[in-house]
Amino acid sequence: MSIEINNVTKTWGDFVALDDVTVSLPTGQLTALLGPSGGGKSTLLRVIAGLETADTGTVSIEGVDATGLPAQKRNVGFVFQHYAVFKHMTVAKNVAFGLEIRKKPKEQVAARVEELLKLVHLSQFGHRLPAQLSGGQRQRMALARALAVEPSVLLLDEPFGALDAKVRKELRDWLRRLHDEVPVTTVFVTHDQEEAMEVADEIVVINEGRVEQVGTPDELYETPANDFVMSFLGDVTQIAGVSLRPHDVDVSTTPILAGSTEGTISRLLKVGFEVRLNVLTVAGDDVHVVLSRAEARSLDLREGSTVWVTAAPGAAVVPSMRFAG
Amino acid sequence: MVEPPLPVRWALRAVAVGYVFFLVAWPVSLVAEHTFDDGLTTFTETLQDQYVQRALLLTAEIALWAVVINLVFGVTISLLLVRHEFPGKRVLSALVDLPMSVSPVVVGLALLLVYNGRTGWFGPTLESAGLQVIFSSPGMIMATCFVALPLVIREVVPVLTELGDDQEQAARSLGATGRQTFWRITLPSIKWAVVYGVVLSLARSLGEFGAVKIVSGNFTGETQTATLVVEQKYQNFEQAAAYSTAFILAAIAVICIVVVSLLRPKESHA
Amino acid sequence: MSSATAAVTPVRRLRRRSPGHTLTRTSGLSLGIAVTWFSLLVLIPLSALVVTAAGGGWDAYASTLTSPQAWAAIRLTVGQSVVVTLVNIVIGTVIAWVLVRDRFFGKRALDVVIDIPFALPTIVAGLVLLSLYGPNSPLGLHWANTERAVTLALAFVTLPFIVRTVQPVLEELDTDVEEAAASLGATGLTTFRRVILPSLVPAIAAGAALSFARAISEYGSLVLLSGNLPFRTEVVSVRVLSFIEGGNTAAAAALASIMLFVALVVIVALDLLQRRVSRRG
Repeated sequence: MSIEINNVTKTWGDFVALDDVTVSLPTGQLTALLGPSGGGKSTLLRVIAGLETADTGTVSIEGVDATGLPAQKRNVGFVFQHYAVFKHMTVAKNVAFGLEIRKKPKEQVAARVEELLKLVHLSQFGHRLPAQLSGGQRQRMALARALAVEPSVLLLDEPFGALDAKVRKELRDWLRRLHDEVPVTTVFVTHDQEEAMEVADEIVVINEGRVEQVGTPDELYETPANDFVMSFLGDVTQIAGVSLRPHDVDVSTTPILAGSTEGTISRLLKVGFEVRLNVLTVAGDDVHVVLSRAEARSLDLREGSTVWVTAAPGAAVVPSMRFAG
Repeated sequence: MVEPPLPVRWALRAVAVGYVFFLVAWPVSLVAEHTFDDGLTTFTETLQDQYVQRALLLTAEIALWAVVINLVFGVTISLLLVRHEFPGKRVLSALVDLPMSVSPVVVGLALLLVYNGRTGWFGPTLESAGLQVIFSSPGMIMATCFVALPLVIREVVPVLTELGDDQEQAARSLGATGRQTFWRITLPSIKWAVVYGVVLSLARSLGEFGAVKIVSGNFTGETQTATLVVEQKYQNFEQAAAYSTAFILAAIAVICIVVVSLLRPKESHA
Repeated sequence: MSSATAAVTPVRRLRRRSPGHTLTRTSGLSLGIAVTWFSLLVLIPLSALVVTAAGGGWDAYASTLTSPQAWAAIRLTVGQSVVVTLVNIVIGTVIAWVLVRDRFFGKRALDVVIDIPFALPTIVAGLVLLSLYGPNSPLGLHWANTERAVTLALAFVTLPFIVRTVQPVLEELDTDVEEAAASLGATGLTTFRRVILPSLVPAIAAGAALSFARAISEYGSLVLLSGNLPFRTEVVSVRVLSFIEGGNTAAAAALASIMLFVALVVIVALDLLQRRVSRRG
């Protein structure tokens, strides 16, 4: 286990950013810290980096107790949401910065910078200033800069948050491939569940300063620990006191399904390959259902039809606690 | 853009240009004219006057010290005010602006009350330790520091605030110490603001009059600065000499202003 | 990405920095040194001034301030400062507007000339004005040693304040707001009065405060120009200096403490104004 966080608490005045957090982040893996804004995930990342100090608790990196170590002694690479490029230095100088601080010989620095610029596909931009790069290029430069010092862990704080959707998607795939090439322990913060599911080996869901669940993307999606994790990772609807995915709802036009609830289709919308229904049940739930076009056609569903809905066999369900309807 | 009708624009333009012309441009140009009424004769004669020479040297020396002290103090205070939290910060940040609006005469008097050798709070102690402040260079440097104190801070603080601490944090995460971060990251990012601050401080320091007049004692050939020479020469009916000395000071001031205005737009492109 | 996701996101925002302090050992030491120097240079001397002023007791204070000559100086200084500040409010705003919105040959030069009063030594400023408005005036104006000389000198040294506070605000102002006003049928004057002016008010107020404080405290530019005639052209700073030269330190301190008080009020007002503006922004 590479990064061990034990009982870490961090408060800002009366706001609790991290509430007694204990979690281990595995070596060599790509881990996502996922959660809503202000939930404490960035704070946790900054505590790992030493950019913030925890009020209580310990942090160890690769078996070394890092709790009292200042940021510059932790040997972590940190990539900031808004790049934090050194504006007055060329791209190559930016990447060389950490190596120059460590007083590495000139030739070695030059060779390493070249290698890294090649890795992030910026070889021909070495002599430019960051202002002449696009957002995506700047973030790749920032990544090269962080990797230059051969950090024991690489930390990324919402690394693609400031980029537009298309570039974000490209960089996300590229980060995944890069991690397979250079398997340094990597932790990144995101509030985008799709990004976390696509890229990460493991996801830590954090909300209101607490860890809600840790697991692989599949585990989280299939067996969410609670209502919050389930709703954060995808669409959710409720039938008779349980939460489940809209595509896990079975619909029939006759009451043959065991434990099914009767309702009326209040709205029917066809979007692309799927058909979305709102079913108003006799119990007062507004159930969202997603079907394929073929299913909808075979049942001959229309607005106003009476249907019976229930959870499909094998569907992931959790008791719904926090919301109704 | 909604443009006002042409006559209104012309009227406003005429008011602005006319006011500045009669109040500043024309009078300032007349000083140059008076100085060179008779070609270079008076000007060179004035420059050869040993009291004028001595005053100019003393002014340069005092200004240099004051600028260096205010530079170090200003950058330090700016960093503390922008990058750190500490009790009393808001009060300090308001107080550093105070010298902007305190009369130079009040500055001189306040320093006199604390540092004069006979009745001052600290003066007698300092003098018995061999340090004469009032009627001597240290007092004049202090007076100059006082009046020019906020200039560096006012230039640097907004730039530091705008800059944010992202780059400094990145440097720290890459292993740079506080000192390395300051010299390699922070200072290069604020260098133009520091340069403006220094140029403005220099102009202000060279031109200080009231406060220096009080703390220096205004002894001809000893503690008399260039601005004090201008006053004395004028009052002694040596108008040509007064204008020549004033011309030198005005020229430096104008050069400072032009340098700053030439440098300033550069920053937005960088 | 469902609406359910949005619904559970707690609306709670992380506050940037906690109160208390964030000083390291080095920055703590720098703060100590900086504050010590600031105290020796500014705070202790100004305290000494207040202590000396208060030392004579209330009566000494009152008699200094109500002596006819000092009172005349205060009246003249405050009166002229108010006049000059009002002139600056109008002219300064006009100049700022012309610099930002107008285009003409020589605008850049005008922009540079505005700063000259900031950098020109005050004694030189006095001499400069004498050359146009003094005994050998090419305009035939003999304003030296009159109240007008005081107005001139104060107008000269305070010229840049309002221009330089209003100019950046005017530059930031979105012209589409003006266009919106025009499209809603507002005339140029109405647009200026109802749309532009209200956004400039904080900047004008800040500039006016600085300009007033500077005018109240002016000394150097008046020395040669105004003749320092008691009851006619003698301003407060000159009176303070006469008290110092006459050895009457207590009276000098009493009068100076009034000026210091005005400076403090201006600083506090500016601080509050800035906070209000930044809250709004």
